[in-house]
Amino acid sequence: MASAPALRLVEAPIGAASAVGPDWTDEAVLARTTAIAEGPLSTAATSIDHGDYPLDIMGQLGAAGALGVHLDRHGGRFGLSLAAMQAASRACGATGFLMWCHDVCGLYLEQSGNPALTGAVLDDHLTGRTFGGTALSNPMKAFAGIEPILLRARRVPGGYRVSGMLPWVSHIGPGQYCGAIAGVVGAGEAISHEIMFLLACDRAELRPCPQFSGMEGTSTWGLRLDEYFVGQDDLIADPARPFIGRIRAAFILLQCGMGLGVTEGSLDSMHAVEEPLGHVNQFLHDRPDAIAAELAELRARVIRLAETPFEGATDYLIDVLDARAQVAELALRASQSALLHQGARGYLMSAAPQRRIREAHFVAIVTPAIKHLRWEMARLSQDILPAATGGRA
Amino acid sequence: MSAPEPTDGLGSWKQFLCRACGLIYDEGEGDPDGGLPPGTRFADIPDDWACPICGVTKADFEPYQRRTRVAAAPVAIAPQRRPGVVIVGAGLAGWSTAEAIRAEDATIPITLVTACDGDLYHKPELSIALGRGLSPADLRRETGVEAASRLGARLMSETFAIGLSPERHSLRTTRGTLPYTHLVLAHGARPALPACLDPSLCWRVNDLAAWSGLHAELAQKPRNVAIIGAGLVGCELAEDLARAGHTVTLIGAEARPLPELLPEQAARRLLAGLGGLGVSFLGGTLVNGLARRKEGDIALALADGTSLVAETVIAATGLATPSRLVRGAGIAFDKGIAVDPATLRTSAPDIFALGDCISIAGSPCRYIEPVARQAQVIARAILGWESPGYAHAAPVIRLKTRSAPIELHGVPVAGAPWHVTEESERRLAMEQRQGGEVVAWLAA
Repeated sequence: MASAPALRLVEAPIGAASAVGPDWTDEAVLARTTAIAEGPLSTAATSIDHGDYPLDIMGQLGAAGALGVHLDRHGGRFGLSLAAMQAASRACGATGFLMWCHDVCGLYLEQSGNPALTGAVLDDHLTGRTFGGTALSNPMKAFAGIEPILLRARRVPGGYRVSGMLPWVSHIGPGQYCGAIAGVVGAGEAISHEIMFLLACDRAELRPCPQFSGMEGTSTWGLRLDEYFVGQDDLIADPARPFIGRIRAAFILLQCGMGLGVTEGSLDSMHAVEEPLGHVNQFLHDRPDAIAAELAELRARVIRLAETPFEGATDYLIDVLDARAQVAELALRASQSALLHQGARGYLMSAAPQRRIREAHFVAIVTPAIKHLRWEMARLSQDILPAATGGRA
Repeated sequence: MSAPEPTDGLGSWKQFLCRACGLIYDEGEGDPDGGLPPGTRFADIPDDWACPICGVTKADFEPYQRRTRVAAAPVAIAPQRRPGVVIVGAGLAGWSTAEAIRAEDATIPITLVTACDGDLYHKPELSIALGRGLSPADLRRETGVEAASRLGARLMSETFAIGLSPERHSLRTTRGTLPYTHLVLAHGARPALPACLDPSLCWRVNDLAAWSGLHAELAQKPRNVAIIGAGLVGCELAEDLARAGHTVTLIGAEARPLPELLPEQAARRLLAGLGGLGVSFLGGTLVNGLARRKEGDIALALADGTSLVAETVIAATGLATPSRLVRGAGIAFDKGIAVDPATLRTSAPDIFALGDCISIAGSPCRYIEPVARQAQVIARAILGWESPGYAHAAPVIRLKTRSAPIELHGVPVAGAPWHVTEESERRLAMEQRQGGEVVAWLAA
C-alpha cells in the first residue's frame, strides 16, 4: 500500500480505532482479506453466482477490517478499502459488489454525523456483525436528471412518512437495512427537497425480484414502503443533496474495486491456460500482457484518486468518473478475452470466465452505468452560459 | 395480440410507463398474465395489480409521453480500418491540421473529436460581427458535417475528450475510447472567469455558439451592456457593440485599457476613439460579484462598495488552457501545453499540439496567424516527411477598433519606457528599446 494512507491512520483518534480493530494495519487487513478470497470465497464463488448469499464470508471480511478501513475512524484508508474489494472481486465479483454496498452504507452512517447512527450501529456495521446496503440507484439517476425519484415523503409530527417502491435493492434482507432517499412532497405535490435515511427492512415489504443473469447471490429485492415512519434517529441527511454532493466521488470511486478485481481474475484465467494454449492464443487480441499493463496503470490512478476522496473540484469528479468508466470498459474486454483464451473450458457453466463476463456486464450497467458516466462527464464539461434573455427584456 | 380500436368513447388506447423499470403498459394489449385482458383501461386496473417486471403497483406508473428521439449527433463516417490520426478540437487549428494532412495523403484515417458542432467560422470576426449586422448563419462558412465529408474525415461532434493514455495511444471520450497512431491537441483555451462572476449571468465570447447566444440576447433592441475586462477582446467588443447601437460601459482593472501592451499615449487615443462612439470607460475598477435583480437586469457589485446595473454583462477576463486532460496523462504543461518550438511535439510520444492551447517557452500563444504554419509542420511530421520546422515569431497584434486602430509589433516589456517617434493628430508612432535594440513598436 502507499504510505500516505498509512500515515493518516496514525492521525486518527486512537480510542475509536482500538475499540474494534486494534490490529487493522494495512498489511494485516490485506493479508487476511486475500486469505479469505483465495480460500472460502474461491470455493463458494459458483454457488454465490447461483444464489447463495454469503453473509458468513461477509462477516469474516468485516472482522478482518475489509469493510471498515475507509471510514474516518479507521484512518480514511480508501486505497486499502479498494485493494481489499479488488482482492475479493478477483475471486467473486458478486461478493465485491456486496462489499461496495456495505462500504457505502458505512460511509452514509459515519458522514451523517447523527449520534444515533454513528455509535454502536456503525461499529456493528463496519465489523460485519450487522449488514446493510444502499438504495441510491434511483436517486442518483434522479439527481443527474435521468429519471424521476420513486420514494415520496410527507412531513408528519416528529419526522416523515415515506411511501413508494424501489424495484431492486441489493445486500438487504430480514433484519438488515440500507441507506435510502425520498423526495419530500409539499403543497401542490411539488418536491421541495429530499431526505436521506436509514431504512430498516423489517418495517418494509421485501418482494422477490425476477431472476437475473448473474450476481444472484447479492440478496436483491424489491422494496415497498407504505407510510414508513422516518424519525430524527433515522435521518442521514436533510436536505440530502448537499450530502450526496459531498460523498458522490467517494461513492463512485469505491466501485472501481469490483471491476479491477474482475479484470485481475480474468488475467488469472488467461495465464492459467498460457502453457497448454499459448501457441494458438498468441493470435488473440487483448493478450494478458496488454491487459496487465492497462490494469496496472489504471489501478495506480485509482489509488492516487483514493488519497482525496472528498475533494470537491469538478476536475477531480471528472477524473473519478473517467477512471470508473475505464474500469468498466477494461473489465468487459478482459473478461471477454479470458473466455476466448480458455475456449470451451471457459464456456462451461461452472467455469470462472463465463461467470466473469456476466460480472463485468454488471460492473458496466450498475449505477452509474457506462452511459450514465459519459452523460455526466459531458454535462460537467460543458460551459455554463446565460440563458439568452432577449425575448424577456 | 391487442384489442381492436376502442369503442368506449374514451379515445384511442393509451400507454403508461413504469417509473421503476421502464415497462410500458399498453391499454390495447393489457397484461393477460396479470389478469388484465386486452383493452383494459388504466383507470380500470385494480390497485393490487403489480408491474409484471418489477412488482411496483399502479401508483408508480405515469402517462407515457414519447420522448422525441435523440437526434443522432451528426457523425460523418469514413471507413476506418486503422486507428489513424485523432484531432481534439474542430476550430481553426483542428480543421487546418485535417486539411494539411489530407492535402498530402488521401487515405490516412482522420477523426476529429469536438465539444461543439464543428462548424467552420473565422473566429476574429466574432468581435466585429454585431456592428456589421451579421447573424450566426452569416458567420458559418461550412458545417462540420460538410467539411468532414469533403475531407473524408470522421467528425465526432458534441463529444468531450476526457482521458488520455500516451503509452497505449488511446484517448477516452464521452462517446467511447479511440486508439490513435498520432494525436493532435487543438482544443484551444477557455475563458478564465474569476470565481466571483456567476457564469450564468455573464457571457464570454470565445466561440460561435456563445456568440450566437449573445447575439440572440442583443438582437431584440438596444441594451445597456457592461463589459468586464479592457484587454484586446474587451476593447474590440466595446466598439462593436457601440456600433450596433448598444450603450456600453467598459470596465478595466487598471486606469487605462491594455496596460500590459500599450503606453499611455496610445491608450489615450484608443479611449478617445471608443469615447467618440459613446463607450464609457470605467478604469481602476474591480467587479466583486453579479446578482440578478428583480427587475430582470443585473447588478455589478464594485470593489469600492458602489454598484452598476446592466441588462447584459460580458466578461472578457482572458483565457486559460484547460489542463486536466494533459496533466492527467503526465504531459508537460506550463500555462499551456508545452511544445517544442520547432516540431510542436508535446512531451509525450506521437502527441502534437497547436493553436490557442499551446505554450512556447512558458508563453501562451493565442493568435490566429501562426496556426496554418503550425498545422503544416504537424502534418508533415505525422506523414514522416521532412519539414523546415516551425519558426515562432511574435505575431503582429492588430486591434480591430476602427475608431482608433492600433498595430503592435514585437514583444513589449510591461513597464519599460516607450518613446514617441512620430506624433500628429492623425498618427502616433512609438517604440520601445532595450540595449539599443527596438523590441517593440506601434502605430496608432
